[in-house]
Amino acid sequence: MSQVEKKAGLLRRTSSSKKPLKEKVVLMYDEIFAKEDPAKNNPRFWDELFLMKVNLEYLETKLECLDGDELMKTKDNVNSLFHHCVQTLAEEHQIKVVNALQTLCALFRGVHQKNKSASGFDIINMLMGFDKAEHRMKDLMESLDSLLCGEGSESLKALCLKLLLCLVTVTDNISQNTILEYVMINSIFEAVLQILSDVSSRGRHGYDAVVLLALLVNYRKYESVNPYIVKLSILDDEPTLDGMGLVVGQALTEYNRQYKDKEEENQGGFFSTLTSMVGSMFIADAEEKLSVQTNEAILLALYEAVHLNRNFITVLAQSHPEIDIPTTPTTPVPTTPTTPLGTTPPSTDVMNSSELPLDPNLQTSNLLITFLKYSSIVMQDTKDEHRLNSARLCLIILTCIAEDQYADAFLHDDNMNFRVNLHRMPMRHRKKAAEKNVPSRPLVCAVLDLMVEFVVTHMMKDFPMDLYMRCVQVIHKLICYQKKCRIRLHYTWRELWSALINLLKFLLSNETVLLAKHNIFHLALLVVNLFNMFITYGDTFLPTSNSYDELYYEIVRMHQVFDNLYCMVLRVSTNAGQWKEPASKVTHSLVNVRAIINHFNPKIESYAAVNHISQLSEDQVLEVVRSNYDTLTLKLQDGLDQYERYSEQPKEAAFFKDLVRSISLNVRKNVSLNTLSQDILLKEFSTIS
Amino acid sequence: MEVALSPAQIEALHLSPSLSPASTFSCPSSPGSSSSSCSDCSLDCPNHQHDSSSSPRSSSSPRSSSSPRSSSPSGCSSGSDGTRGCSPPLDLCEDAAVDLDLVIDPEVALKACHEVLQKVKLLKVEEEPEILEKCSCDTVLVKEKGVLSDPPQPMKLTCQQPCNKGSIKEEEEDEMCPHPRQPNNDQSSAAAKQSLLLRLFESKLFDVSMAISYLYKSKEPGVQAYIGNRLFSFSDDEVDFHLPQLLNMYVHMDEDMGDAIRPYVVHRCRRSIAFSLQTAWLLGAYSSDMHISTQRHSRGTKLRKLILSDELKPHVVPADAYLSPSKRTHQRSKSDATHCTSLGTSLKRTASNPKVECGYDEPLRLTPQREFIKSLMGIGKRLATLPTKEQKTQRLISELSLLNHKLPDRVWLPTAAFDHHVVRVPHTQAVVLNSKDKAPYIIYVEVLECESFEASGVPARIPETRIRSARSADNLLPESVAITAEQRAGSFSTVPNYDNDDEAWAVDDIGELQVELPEGHTSSSDNISQFSVDSITSTESKEPVFIAAGDIRRRLSENLAHTPTTFRRDPEDPSAVALKEPWEEKVRRIREGSPYGHLPNWRLLSVIVKCGDDLRQELLAFQVLSQLQSIWEQERVPLWIKPYKILVMSSDSGMIEPVLNAVSLHQVRKQSQLSLLDYFLQEHGSYTTEAFLTAQRNFVQSCAGYSLICYLLQVKDRHNGNILLDSEGHIIHIDFGFILSSSPRNLGFETSAFKLTSEFVDVMGGLDGDMFNYYKMLMLQGLIAARKHMEKVVQIVEIMQQGSHLPCFHGSSTIRSLKERFHMSLTEEHLQVLVEQMVDGSMRSITTKLYDGFQYFTNGIM
Repeated sequence: MSQVEKKAGLLRRTSSSKKPLKEKVVLMYDEIFAKEDPAKNNPRFWDELFLMKVNLEYLETKLECLDGDELMKTKDNVNSLFHHCVQTLAEEHQIKVVNALQTLCALFRGVHQKNKSASGFDIINMLMGFDKAEHRMKDLMESLDSLLCGEGSESLKALCLKLLLCLVTVTDNISQNTILEYVMINSIFEAVLQILSDVSSRGRHGYDAVVLLALLVNYRKYESVNPYIVKLSILDDEPTLDGMGLVVGQALTEYNRQYKDKEEENQGGFFSTLTSMVGSMFIADAEEKLSVQTNEAILLALYEAVHLNRNFITVLAQSHPEIDIPTTPTTPVPTTPTTPLGTTPPSTDVMNSSELPLDPNLQTSNLLITFLKYSSIVMQDTKDEHRLNSARLCLIILTCIAEDQYADAFLHDDNMNFRVNLHRMPMRHRKKAAEKNVPSRPLVCAVLDLMVEFVVTHMMKDFPMDLYMRCVQVIHKLICYQKKCRIRLHYTWRELWSALINLLKFLLSNETVLLAKHNIFHLALLVVNLFNMFITYGDTFLPTSNSYDELYYEIVRMHQVFDNLYCMVLRVSTNAGQWKEPASKVTHSLVNVRAIINHFNPKIESYAAVNHISQLSEDQVLEVVRSNYDTLTLKLQDGLDQYERYSEQPKEAAFFKDLVRSISLNVRKNVSLNTLSQDILLKEFSTIS
Repeated sequence: MEVALSPAQIEALHLSPSLSPASTFSCPSSPGSSSSSCSDCSLDCPNHQHDSSSSPRSSSSPRSSSSPRSSSPSGCSSGSDGTRGCSPPLDLCEDAAVDLDLVIDPEVALKACHEVLQKVKLLKVEEEPEILEKCSCDTVLVKEKGVLSDPPQPMKLTCQQPCNKGSIKEEEEDEMCPHPRQPNNDQSSAAAKQSLLLRLFESKLFDVSMAISYLYKSKEPGVQAYIGNRLFSFSDDEVDFHLPQLLNMYVHMDEDMGDAIRPYVVHRCRRSIAFSLQTAWLLGAYSSDMHISTQRHSRGTKLRKLILSDELKPHVVPADAYLSPSKRTHQRSKSDATHCTSLGTSLKRTASNPKVECGYDEPLRLTPQREFIKSLMGIGKRLATLPTKEQKTQRLISELSLLNHKLPDRVWLPTAAFDHHVVRVPHTQAVVLNSKDKAPYIIYVEVLECESFEASGVPARIPETRIRSARSADNLLPESVAITAEQRAGSFSTVPNYDNDDEAWAVDDIGELQVELPEGHTSSSDNISQFSVDSITSTESKEPVFIAAGDIRRRLSENLAHTPTTFRRDPEDPSAVALKEPWEEKVRRIREGSPYGHLPNWRLLSVIVKCGDDLRQELLAFQVLSQLQSIWEQERVPLWIKPYKILVMSSDSGMIEPVLNAVSLHQVRKQSQLSLLDYFLQEHGSYTTEAFLTAQRNFVQSCAGYSLICYLLQVKDRHNGNILLDSEGHIIHIDFGFILSSSPRNLGFETSAFKLTSEFVDVMGGLDGDMFNYYKMLMLQGLIAARKHMEKVVQIVEIMQQGSHLPCFHGSSTIRSLKERFHMSLTEEHLQVLVEQMVDGSMRSITTKLYDGFQYFTNGIM
């Protein structure tokens, strides 16, 4: 009894008398950062070190505190630490492996934190030593590979992925991360694939694996041969590709669901009417609503898969049940809003089951539908940088899809009809469309709807010219496919026409403002050429003969816009200046539209005069149009159905560089958060051993 | 029952004036008495005649005259001559039949059998080697006999009989000669009669239909056993047609019957996976009517279990061993077959991942196919829970796309007429059919035709995205594999003691090469084709080209007009569009979109999967229709009907072979908004065109055929959704859910003999038209022909009644009523009047109209 008391007393006294007691592990760290070899006095030093719980914070700050010279002095010890970490990974003792992994994390991060300015070679030297670097990294990658592919604990695998993510994102610019050169040589691609192909591991680690892959693919993408790009592009294993698609789909669905929840929250109850009224005055309200953060990392992964791998296109159309309805309660993982580009995987229940759940309320969906919905949300608001980038990436992905033959085939497949409820921005002049009324149509209709929606909703002062260009190009590519394959899509083309005419109108009325920043003639040319497609090739893809009449009706009805456009481009093209050339192109492209207007307008007027009608009805105009086709001659224009194929380089390179940088930053932030809280993991292993 | 001629009959024969021998033989039997020698002989009367005349026996003449009764309603010479005397009234005949039972002495029959068999036995010993060569199944067979059925001694021997028919015949004749027949003598020995029966059994005319008939009617174990053995000598296809009857007897009749049938079934099961499964399904379905407690221990259930347990694998180094080489060359089979085993219920996705190399296990014969069918049925069940057609269709497509991924190798569609392997289910083509509460659906299935389903190699899996390369990629892969497999199989059968291990090694290498090569090839050619397409797209000349707007507009409307009349897409009726598309077109379209499309042996099949419906009645209807079809063909009556294949898988699920290029009258009306005649004019051209006339003739011939079918089988529920119209103008009745004794909800509608609306008559050219008269004439001819062979038809139905609780057998008078509808007692004039009356009655029938109206209001069927 007394002895115990004594002991307690003793303890209390010592703790109060001294400064906070240093952990043993911290002491050992200190020993490493001394100049002596720590193993000199204690041959079991390294063994003991990895048995101790890692103090990441201390290790990292310690590394940060030391300045370059000091660190160089301890280089041998740091090298030794790294070496022993790698060695320990191969051991069976799982606690040691965990600790080694975490220590490696801290090492990579700490060294980089300190040496933001230093070149990559210094860092390699500091960690491993030049002479041994290749060898060490090979060992490290091999150990990680076997850990990831092995039968070991899932948490261990998760930690391996975290380490890799950590390693990949230590620099802001991934291409400056020279250590990755070794990751290129010693590929872990196969391990990542295996995670994706297996149902259970996909559920747990799929998200990290996909993000890791997306980042690795972007390492020195344009300068050298990246083996990950090569391997990803020839991948044709269906289960793996499906797995990748499922992970991406899951993440996007999760986002859509969160957005929907938020939206419903905002709209619920008595205030809904009020806010919608007031909201029309303060657009800020809408902005607030959209605070769910976009997930660019996963979007990048989707892009890389679609862009690099032809086989992935089939995955887009792979059906799976829609998970829109919150059948699974939200998982308590800190995805949003604290972690903007969270690397935590979304709820995994649905991904795990290979069988489709049986729920009549569950609409079947596929990755493409999910992606379209996601795009419709992201595109609603392009004010801040992230969203603008996301929207751009969405449009780039759509461009790739629209160019792909196989994708076009299933987009236009008459037997694959879906209801796609796109999100539409609440606007002053229109009510929120009743969502349930969307008919079931081929998927291409949803794509066109999305494009029309974008065209209609983004005519603002801060004109997203780039997005508009992409948007119109997507439409063009789809129509080219329809023309080539003679697909008569039953789509209400009228909506598209009037949206495009309104766009021209907007360009005209804001000419001066826009011209200061953009080449509006390029966009105008694309739009007019879309009309030319309809006018000269309409017979190959319009669904009914009436729709051709309606096209003429629409042009004649809005002739003012075309007239003004013609005046404007004529004016600009006659003046010498930088816009002379592009403007004159538009002048030429307007030939047919003007011919139509000049041909039918007098006819309609005379018809009105003869019949003494002041205001002709639509049917009457259509009648006039129908009876006067034969006297109208059109000019066939060159290359209407040709387009420049998408290529990432050189045009998009800068965009992707920035994008990857911002993704890296976010992933790094999240990895640090997550790796630090590995208590649960440790507990798990302490009970095992 | 009617194993031999009754004395009364023989007497009658001799009293009757002897007719010319040529005509007598083909005379139809009289109702109720399928007298042994004559009833079914008419199949090939010239043959028979030749046979009998060439036989040296003196007894030939009495025998030839013994068969027909002069009073039979129509001679074979022509159906027009109806002046012969009436046959005795029906009931009288039946009495005679009852008499027969009493006359036959089972023991004598057995003895006769025995005698013959003794002879054969002697003979067999001499000819053993020869027999062995002749019979393909010899060893297995004998072994089985010993093990399984433990039959009476004669049986073992009889099984050899088919193999050396010729010699037996001689033997038999020797035996018979000493007993010259004394036909007029009532005391003529029973043995003689029995030998007459045997003679029949031995004769060339003895076909499966007769065999089944005797098997059913004979209560004699000896005869049953004999026929059971005799089954071995018939071709598989012939027996397969009567398989439902055979199995129903097996399930529901006495022990001896079971013993008689079982060896044959077991034998066939060993040889064929397809047969095994079909038998198992049918056994399950026919056992389901029994009480649960008895069902569990019933013969049918036991045999079913035996088959499904896969213990009936071939004994002798079976074909499977030869298979292994070809199987080894494909990753697909490697992974799938084994995964199926391990996973049991769910099919495993194909892993083309080369890492996952599974050892070559003993392949499970039945599992892949069962899993395949099971998942198809599972889809049907899940679809039924969804509320709207649209959801169902979407769900169907997504389910099938999953199935496509997990498609096991070595599965086939049992409705197909040729051997094949299923390689892909083009999931987007599948549609849900119209049904109120069930969810039947039609799927299209891409298959690769092969020599033999079980022996040929499984085609390699091609990823979906290879479509683009499909055209340029050549066809070296599957063919070469198939050939090697075959060659190997061939070489193996001659060299049985080949070392299996060595062989496996060698083929492994070949397999790898074959898989590797084309893949590299395709991926390279791929890029080229893709680039070339892009660069070509359109190149226009520099000088300005002018076009008239009017031309564009005109071309548009012309293009639209030229596309064949398609149906509008209707979310409430998704199948209309899919079924309206001409089959050829569909095949071409799907072939273009398929990664397997470039292969020369690529075929497209379609099948309707029904879940929750009992197809046993449909199967019965199919059999009756097929029988009638062949009767009419034989009698050269140009009636047109289209029996569609039915596959019963259990008492509430199955598959149906869809009728190609056909849409329902309901869909025609709803989509075209035209009268039937106007629709004909729209589809085939104006009145005088050849196309229209052909279509009209087709319509009339099919109408007549189905009118008769509807009358004979009492097919009810004839609304326009159940009548199809094909692209050639034929109508086809589908859905035989209400036949014979059952009718829908007994509302008393549809009292007419068959459905004949004024619309139909309009298409035929009106009441006074030639075509309408032709229609009635066809019906008369058809009816005459049908009643000539009534027994064949009735027998199919009668056997199935055994132990059945199907609604079509409700009540006790089903068979009697069926027989009555053949009107054996009427002269041809009377028949003509009858046909006139029926046509008249049907046309006037207000109930037809009422029923259509009723359907319109309740189910929206126009």
